[in-house]
Amino acid sequence: MTLTATGPTTAAARRRHSIRVGWSFILPNFLGFAALTLVPVLASLALSFLDWDSYSTPKWVGLANFRRMIHNDTFWTALQNTVYYAVGHVPLTLCAALGFAVLLNQKLRAVQFFRTALFFPYITSLVAVAVVWNMLLSPDLGPVNQLLRTIGIDNPPGWTTSTTWAMPAVIMASVWRDLGYYMILYLAGLQTIPGELYEAAKVDGANAWQQFRHITVPSLRPTTFFVLIMLTISSFKVFDLVQVMTEGGPGRATLVLSQVIFREGITQGRFGYSSAVSMVLFVIVLLITVIQFRLQRRSER
Amino acid sequence: MKRHLVPALAAAASLTLLAGCGGGDTPSQSADGRQILKVALWNYETTPEFKAIIDGFEKANPDIDVQPVDILADDYAEKVTTMLAGGDTTDVLTMKNVIDYARFGTRGQLASLTEEAKQLDPVKQSGLTSYELSGEYYALPYRQDFWVLYYNKTLLKQAGVPESKLQNLTWADYAALGKSMTKGTGASKVYGVHQHTWRSVVEAVAAAQTGGDLLSGNYGFMRDQYAMTLDLQTSGALMPWATTSSQKVTYDTMFSTSKAVMMPMGTWYGARLLTDKAAGKHKVDWGMAPLPQREAGGKVTSFGSPTAFAVNKKAKNAEAAKKFVTWAAGTDGATAVAKVGATPSLQSQQILDTYFALPGIPNDAVAKKAFKPDQVVLEMPVSDKASDIDQILTEEHELIMTGEKSLDEGLTEMSNRVKSEVG
Repeated sequence: MTLTATGPTTAAARRRHSIRVGWSFILPNFLGFAALTLVPVLASLALSFLDWDSYSTPKWVGLANFRRMIHNDTFWTALQNTVYYAVGHVPLTLCAALGFAVLLNQKLRAVQFFRTALFFPYITSLVAVAVVWNMLLSPDLGPVNQLLRTIGIDNPPGWTTSTTWAMPAVIMASVWRDLGYYMILYLAGLQTIPGELYEAAKVDGANAWQQFRHITVPSLRPTTFFVLIMLTISSFKVFDLVQVMTEGGPGRATLVLSQVIFREGITQGRFGYSSAVSMVLFVIVLLITVIQFRLQRRSER
Repeated sequence: MKRHLVPALAAAASLTLLAGCGGGDTPSQSADGRQILKVALWNYETTPEFKAIIDGFEKANPDIDVQPVDILADDYAEKVTTMLAGGDTTDVLTMKNVIDYARFGTRGQLASLTEEAKQLDPVKQSGLTSYELSGEYYALPYRQDFWVLYYNKTLLKQAGVPESKLQNLTWADYAALGKSMTKGTGASKVYGVHQHTWRSVVEAVAAAQTGGDLLSGNYGFMRDQYAMTLDLQTSGALMPWATTSSQKVTYDTMFSTSKAVMMPMGTWYGARLLTDKAAGKHKVDWGMAPLPQREAGGKVTSFGSPTAFAVNKKAKNAEAAKKFVTWAAGTDGATAVAKVGATPSLQSQQILDTYFALPGIPNDAVAKKAFKPDQVVLEMPVSDKASDIDQILTEEHELIMTGEKSLDEGLTEMSNRVKSEVG
């Protein structure tokens, strides 16, 4: 009787205690998140409706910042360039990362060395990456163009100094830098695929391509989804590599949305307009991520 | 007791986190009781006049301890903008150019120095009038740079060109000389001229010497200067803009390693050449000639930009800051600046004598003429639109210089964009 009477009380107390302990673990992290992410995002949303130079009193301007953005040629150029970068960077990095992961998942000689070599650019300073690529792609003195000349291409591209080739050059450098990280993710994914599947496929007479297509690719779907989401988000937010390699030039050939946000906010002190552009970027990334989640869910059904 | 340990620890961690977010208040007095004065500046180690001014001021005001807030030169404008946005209380802010000054001044981020400016003689205080914003002054210039033509005496002599020829050079003479003095190939190539990647090397020269207005939205006046520069580039006498930019070749590397014979550059470079030579960093025997002109035999027109100190409106020590700014703009500051080979804003015979008495400074007739141009036009007019226009002009300059747009297309696009995007 005693046990029955006190049982629920003890359980409730235990539950309350568990909740308290749970909250106490989450709280420091949540406070950090709130102070450093949530509040700035909400502040940015509010700022996008204001005219504020960070010093004088903010003025409510309604949708004026968004109207200015729609009529601003530089914004559309930057949006176009950002999409161009993402469309080039996401599939190329994904394919290269998957390809190298499959290759380096084999029992090869010095496989650890090659894995490290491919991961190395990811942990290298981004400024160093940009400087080295600028040297490689120098129109007159760079080894890339010297090589192209020796194989008979008389007028090789100007790369970062050409409006046509600057973005491909940035994409190339960024794929080279990022693929190591995503390759590691894929390697982890590959190692979770049971070896029996491949053995059974071999017994059934499947060749390497068929094994890759019907076992590897479907088994890696969760990894691919994660890689795709991360790559898409990072591509739309690209800033550092472009800033160091080309500063958005020549002209506006590699100007991306993050640079517009930086220039308008930090350089020009138009925090309202800058926040409006960052809100548009946020919505674009959010929409694409939601669409990707929906498509993933549909394919799982 | 143990039950409360985890939540207590978590709460402590949260408080620590929050405490970490709060800013600490720095004392305004140093350990020895002197008043601390913070001055935002750039590249303290390689810009000798900052140390000269600070040392001189501290000597004259032993109760003030001046502490430099050193910022990378390339990031200076952005960093100061961010500092001011965050309510920073650094007392004195160096105004690197008038474009940034106009932004800070019109936003009300600087304290008024109108009373102090009225005490100065605008005839002697070169560049002072550039700081007038609707009748008010928010900064006082301590340095006034203008552009001259640096040349390598040894390479000029080897080419058999007498130095006196550079005293009255037209741009056509400059181009012809540059082509004739270019020699070698590959790594051993010596370029007849070097022009840095900045748009001002072409555009501000054109504006100053034709009377063109960089804010006007009509840029036909730049045509001749661009045509000459592009021709020099095509002929190989000037390193291609694309290479200079992508390889981040500095003008100092080109000149101090004797890779270029002639180079238009601001007078600030003289101080750098002087201190670097004294430190054994280069051995170039260098000279200074007037900036080439469109026509021969006329007056020497150059362009330039003053550099000034301003007082932050939120300065902790506004009175000491004003004292520092006025000292730097005055005779004592000007003497300190001239002694390190930089060009002070305050011009007088005494200051000129101090400058030319410096060991290592070229003090021949060519250099003396270079140092006294008849007219110095402001590099970019002061306007709240200057910053936006500067961005457009820079972008289109890149396209013209890399051959991505023809000269005509580039000039037309400049005009169209300035009219439609800035208005």
